Amino acid sequence: MANFTEETISVAGGNLQVYKGGSGDPLLVLHGAGGNAGPRRYAQALAEKFTVYLPSHPGYGKSDRPGWVETMQDLACFYTWYQEQEGLENVRAIGFSMGGWLAAEMLSMTGHAFSRVMLVGAAGIKPVDGEITDIFIINPGQIRDLAYHDPGQVPEWDEMFGSAPTPEQTDQAESDREMAIRLTWRPYMHNPRLPAKLGRVSVPTHIVWGENDNLVPVECADLYQQALAGSQVTVLPNCGHSPQIEKPDDFVQTALAFL
Amino acid sequence: MFLMRFTERAYVNYTEEDVRNSPNEAVRLTFSNSNFDPQEGHYLYNMYLDEYEYSEEVGFDGLMLNEHHNTPTCLGATMNLEAAILARNTKNTKIVLLGNPLPIFDNPIRLAEELAEIDMISGGRLVSGFVRGTGVESLATNTNPLHNRARFEEAHDLVIKTWTTPGPFRWEGDHYHFRVVNPFQVPMQKPHPPVWIPGTGSPETLVWCAERNYPYIFLETDPQGTQDMKAIYAEAARENGYEPGPENFGYLVRIHVQDTDEKAYDVGKGYMVGNIGVGRIPLPRDYASPVGYGSRSDDPRFLRLREQIRSDPFRVGGLDGAQYDSILDSKRWIIGSPDTVISQLREVLSFMRPGILAVWTNDGSISHEDTMRCLELMGQEVLPALREIGEELELTDPFQKEGVQPGLTAL
Repeated sequence: MANFTEETISVAGGNLQVYKGGSGDPLLVLHGAGGNAGPRRYAQALAEKFTVYLPSHPGYGKSDRPGWVETMQDLACFYTWYQEQEGLENVRAIGFSMGGWLAAEMLSMTGHAFSRVMLVGAAGIKPVDGEITDIFIINPGQIRDLAYHDPGQVPEWDEMFGSAPTPEQTDQAESDREMAIRLTWRPYMHNPRLPAKLGRVSVPTHIVWGENDNLVPVECADLYQQALAGSQVTVLPNCGHSPQIEKPDDFVQTALAFL
Repeated sequence: MFLMRFTERAYVNYTEEDVRNSPNEAVRLTFSNSNFDPQEGHYLYNMYLDEYEYSEEVGFDGLMLNEHHNTPTCLGATMNLEAAILARNTKNTKIVLLGNPLPIFDNPIRLAEELAEIDMISGGRLVSGFVRGTGVESLATNTNPLHNRARFEEAHDLVIKTWTTPGPFRWEGDHYHFRVVNPFQVPMQKPHPPVWIPGTGSPETLVWCAERNYPYIFLETDPQGTQDMKAIYAEAARENGYEPGPENFGYLVRIHVQDTDEKAYDVGKGYMVGNIGVGRIPLPRDYASPVGYGSRSDDPRFLRLREQIRSDPFRVGGLDGAQYDSILDSKRWIIGSPDTVISQLREVLSFMRPGILAVWTNDGSISHEDTMRCLELMGQEVLPALREIGEELELTDPFQKEGVQPGLTAL
C-alpha cells in the first residue's frame, strides 16, 4: 500500500489541504460535490503507478473558503493557479462527478492543464432526456441510497458507512454541502456553454460511467463524447454513480489502461 | 395597543395519504399541485377576503397577510394581490404585510412599485413588512439559500432607497443591478410606509431591526425565550441611542373565541391542520432550513438563545408538533369563551408587553360560519376589553408613540 501524507499548502492566499501519495508521474484527482473521502482503495492502487495528488477543493474539508470562489469557473481558475504554482501543469487527471465538471471547465480554459483526462460520472452537461438528481432537496442518506447500485459489492462499505457519523463528521458534511450549494446552485450542476467550449480540447479524454448511475444519467457520457472530439467511453455494468468506490478493481483497471 | 387580525388562508381538501404519497412525504415544496382544485380556490379566496373585510367592520386596527409558496397551508402565494383588493375594499384599517420575502425577488423594484400602488390605493394604510422566507420559499423560487440574508438586506436597502431618493439612480450591488431606478409611482406615506419585521427570534434579525428602530413581531415564540430575544433587541437599540418600548414589539397568537369554552375547544381543533397541513407530518429539514440558510455566528449570546429556542418544548416541529391539550395548557394558543380568552390574554399581555397584537383568529379546517361568529364575538367583547387592558398596561403601539414612530427609519 502506498503511503499517503496529508499536507497544507498556501494557494491564492488561502490554505489548501492535499493528500499526496505514491511515486511516479503526477496524477491529479478531483473529488465530487460530496467532499474529499481521502485516499480510498482506488487511490492507493493508482499510487502504485503515479504520485497521486488529492486536494480538498476550496471550501471543502480543511481547505480555506475564499470569498471569490463562487462558481465552477472560479474554482477552475483556482486550480490552474495551483497547477502553475506547484509545477503540476500538463499532468494526468481524474475528475469524479462535480470534479469531472471541474476538469472539463479547466480543459475549456487552457491547453496547459492536463495531458490526459478521465471524467467519471461527470456533472457539467445538462442531460437531454433525464435530469441530474437534485441532491439539495434530499438528505445525505437518500443521496447515498441513490449513489450506489449495490451496496453489497462496495468493499469499503463498512469502513465508510458502517457506523453513524460523529458530530464532527456531520458538521464537515454540512460544510461541504454548503460549498456545493454555493458552486452549483443555478444552473444546477451544469454549464449551458460548456459543450461548445469543449470544442477546443485536443488532449486525450476518457469518459467513464456506471451503467446504473442514479445521480447523473448515463446519457451524459454520450453528450460528453460528442463534445470532446476523439474521446472514448467506458460504461461499467451493474455499477452506480461512483465506480471508484463501488467497483474499485474494475475502475482502476480501466484507469490504468487509459492513463 | 394595535390589534390586527391574521389567518394563513389554508386549503385542506386533501388527505394525510396524499401527503404520505408525495415526494419526501412533504406537505410543502413537492406536494403535487394536482391535489389542488381551483374551483375550491375560487370559493376560498373570496371567503377569506370576505372575512378580512368583516374584520375591519368588527373593529380590528389592521389586517395582517403573509405569503408562502408551493404549499396548501397558505393560499397567499402573492399576498400583494390580496392586499391590493383589501386596499380598495376597506376604508380605515391598516394593511399589514408580514411580509414580502425579499430574497426571493429578483426584481425588488417591481416589489417597490406594487407596494407603492397598494399604499396609494389604500390612502396611505400600508405597513410593509419584510421577511427572509422559509427554506421552502428559497427552494420554490430557486434562490440560493446561502445568499438569503445578504439578499434580504440588499433588497431592503434598494426598496427603501427607491421609495425615499428621487430617481433616476443606478444600483450596482452584490446581488442586484439596475441601470435606471426610477419607478414613477412612489408611496403616499412619507418617508415611506412603516416597516415591521416578523420572525421567530433569529438574533441577527433582532439586531438588524433594532439598529433601524423597526418593530419586531414575535411569531408564536416561547414567552420565556422571548424575554431573551427582547433583551438582544434592547441592547442593540441602546447602542443606537434609544430605549425600546412596547411599540417596538409585536406578538402573534392563535386566539379563537366562541360562545362557550366547550364550543371553542371543539372548533379550535381546526387549527391543528393549519400551518403544518393535514396529517401533521413535519417537513424535511432540508426543505425548512436548507444547509447554508442558517447562521454560523459564534456570538455567545446568540448561541445561548439558540439553545434556549431549541429547548422550547414546542420547538421541534413548532407548536404544530405538539398535542392540542398541551398547547392549550401552556396558553400558547388562547381558546375559549370571551371571558376565558380575555382573562388568559391579560396574563399573556402582562408578561410579553407587545404594543402590537396579531390575532390569528382561525385556520386549518375551522369553518367560515365559526370564523364569522368568532370575529363577531371579538368585536363585541374581546377587542374592547383588550383595548382597556392595553391602556392599563400602557402598551403603546407604533402609531401612538410620540416623536419618532418605529418603522419609519429611512436609510
